[in-house]
Amino acid sequence: MSNSATAMLVSATIEFLRAYPPFDRMEHEALQFLGEQVRLAYYPKGAQIVSPDAGAVELFRILQRGKVVVRHASEVSVIDQASLTLGPGECFSIGAVMAQRASTSCYTALDDVFCYEITAESFFALLQKSAVLNLFCTQYLASLLGQSRRQLQMQFSQHVAEQQTMNSPLSAVIKKAALSVTPRTPIRKVVELMAASSVGSMIIVDERQQPVGIFTQSDVLKRIVLTGVGLDDPIEQVMSKRPHTLPISANAYDAALAMAMHGVRHVLAVDDGGRLQGVVSERDLFTLQRVGLRQIRQTLDGATGIDMLLQASADVRQLSLNLLAQGVGAEQITQFISALNDALTRRIIALNLEHHDLYGIEWAWLSFGSEGRDEQTFSTDQDNGIIYICTDIMDREQTQLRLLEFARDVNDDLDQCGFPLCTGKIMASNPELCLTLEEWEEKFEHWVRTPEPQALLNATIFFDFRPLYGAFNLADRLRLSLLRRTRGNPLFLRMLAGNALCVAPPLGTFRDFVTDADAQHPGTIDLKKYGARLFIDAARVFAMAHDVAATNTVQRIKQSALLMAISADEAAAVIDGFNFIQLLRLRHQHAEQTQGRDGDNLIRPDELNEVERRILKESFRQARKLQQRLKLDYQL
Amino acid sequence: MHWFSRLFGGARRVVELPPAQRDALAHWQQLPATDLNAAHQRCRYVVVDVETSGLNMRTDRLISIGAVALVDGRIDFADAFQIILRQDQVSPDANILIHGIGGSAQSEGIDPATALLSFLGYIGKAPLVAYHAFFDRAMIEKAMRQYLGVELGQTWIDLAWVLPSLFPDLSDARTNLDDWLALFAIENILRHNAVSDAYATAKLLQVAIAAGNQRAVVSPAAFVRLEKARRWMSQHR
Repeated sequence: MSNSATAMLVSATIEFLRAYPPFDRMEHEALQFLGEQVRLAYYPKGAQIVSPDAGAVELFRILQRGKVVVRHASEVSVIDQASLTLGPGECFSIGAVMAQRASTSCYTALDDVFCYEITAESFFALLQKSAVLNLFCTQYLASLLGQSRRQLQMQFSQHVAEQQTMNSPLSAVIKKAALSVTPRTPIRKVVELMAASSVGSMIIVDERQQPVGIFTQSDVLKRIVLTGVGLDDPIEQVMSKRPHTLPISANAYDAALAMAMHGVRHVLAVDDGGRLQGVVSERDLFTLQRVGLRQIRQTLDGATGIDMLLQASADVRQLSLNLLAQGVGAEQITQFISALNDALTRRIIALNLEHHDLYGIEWAWLSFGSEGRDEQTFSTDQDNGIIYICTDIMDREQTQLRLLEFARDVNDDLDQCGFPLCTGKIMASNPELCLTLEEWEEKFEHWVRTPEPQALLNATIFFDFRPLYGAFNLADRLRLSLLRRTRGNPLFLRMLAGNALCVAPPLGTFRDFVTDADAQHPGTIDLKKYGARLFIDAARVFAMAHDVAATNTVQRIKQSALLMAISADEAAAVIDGFNFIQLLRLRHQHAEQTQGRDGDNLIRPDELNEVERRILKESFRQARKLQQRLKLDYQL
Repeated sequence: MHWFSRLFGGARRVVELPPAQRDALAHWQQLPATDLNAAHQRCRYVVVDVETSGLNMRTDRLISIGAVALVDGRIDFADAFQIILRQDQVSPDANILIHGIGGSAQSEGIDPATALLSFLGYIGKAPLVAYHAFFDRAMIEKAMRQYLGVELGQTWIDLAWVLPSLFPDLSDARTNLDDWLALFAIENILRHNAVSDAYATAKLLQVAIAAGNQRAVVSPAAFVRLEKARRWMSQHR
């Protein structure tokens, strides 16, 4: 339209936009197009511009005047941390418009706001025209990954805070209603009541329910038995008067302080009217203490029996959750779980060595599968074996028997500590998996030479072996001989690659995700089978083809990328994708276990938020990229 | 003849238009009227600003019209208008300094009848909005009578009356456009450029609409009623 008025308004708009990134670098024609397409809207102070319940976001907006505050929908009450303020020249909401979905955040006008708006359709046309904007939006979406991690942190810190910190209000610490009696109640009745309900303390309240005294278990000895008070006398004669009270709104820290200052073990929580609401004991506060890494290691290393290890294994889970809350990434957490489980397993082995004489045998404990890859999640069963050296063939049977007996005890102890016996019998106590170095080599060689389906399946479990205890050099020798065999066997690698391609990423042609792969669990995706395993299987092929000894998937990708001319950026994107899927699995398993269920890997994409869905989709794309590389390399 | 028409004030001046222009005018006259009770968000408002040879409504001439449309609550740059009427006599230098439309631009402008017809084509029957609308209205209506022989008869809304009603707390001593623009931090790209002034005024209209929506002033008709009530109040104070 050759209209001087329009031309003037458009050029004023362009001039404004040029002052801000990414428009300052934007191609002239694209900027002109943008200037022609925008319309100017006004939102008075306090108006909601975009909200999650308003449906798909159909307008891309650039702020001209005023400020807009962005809040995550889930944290409406938490204002300071979760909010972000946008000013002139900033645009929103890129993610939602690009995905043509509802926004996950609320955008509210902080003062009078004028903003340029273009329709999603024009926005997509603009993306076509402008490489600069395209890059800007891509980078923005990439940063969502970090955002999502922060969001996860927030979610978990809340969870941890609720359960664990000394900031908890007393109302959260108090688990059950306090028992109370009137001052005239006979002592006998009180003691009977305490015994019957097995509580350590009884509160004495007046007719207005205000506490006037407390009587505890330890008082029975000192004040009744030793003084010879009649059991029919009223309780008020022996109770401690004026018990320490705190308002119910006080926190656990206040209670701890009161106990320390007054040398008491109980503090009473009261409401505004001074009425009894509950009792907080010293022991209640102890359970609030965080489980520390050092403590666990000490418990583990100092454990003299299975009972102590049991406690330690529960602590490992708790600590993993804390780490998740502190924002430690999936890679570190899975490694950390593996490391502590290693320590636990080593301790169990050491304890059992006290009863089993393995003197004179050179042997090592191996772990396979996810443990072998340092990638354990919260739900994991045992996958282990033994490798040993037998110089004299005559001794072989005898030696194996001794090792098997030992292994059986270790397997049982591990079972007790929360690592269920392997249903597939992949355990050191299985004679098939308690083998000499030569036998293992033979077994591996057989799988490599005749890669039938079962052999390939075995390869995916056993080739990821890692020594845990004993003579590590045995495992190293096994690794070397395995790599020597696979490297010189393109047929095997091709079969292994074909095996890795059996399952495709659950990306839909029309919808985002394919959620009906499992008929028994419609609407879900098995993130182990259709997620993590895609990366793991591909990484294994890369590693074996390029002589990479690492078993850890991230390490395999990093190291083989160097040898395969894959750029560091590309490799990092793949690893981010893998880690994100692992993080979702950890979170899901934790939620499942909190609700008392066995942790499975079935997540529902519908229940993820917008950011997570986008990242999950991107993660699957990365898996597809890996698979495409396999197809290319092996002509599959 | 001049004294005659003034004696019988209001007598329609007859203008002979070429057939094409007569048809265009007839077409505009036959356009259906706008529903002034429709909500702001479903309306097209045209915000108008004029530049003239001076402030005397009787003797000064219309030089330029700038207009910006507000459609469904949003300013649409593609729906903007500007025209310079050809002047037989260039306005004085002091005046040119104000609006910046130089002598040659004035004499190279568009034939007034054509210019006004294209303005009519642009506005359709949309309600017109201005700040101190009486002036813009008088200048435009005078030109319409003079060059097209037609009474405009459009609905006008004057933000100079509407805004104080909507923001009674803020209206003390605020009598000119610049005060209101400053209050809402609205920037004027080029003061005394008809389009720029209209654009700034259109933003002010957006503010008025948002405030109106919170006070049950939800349509052009409601703006008109608000303006009437305030005029009546000020006359009977």
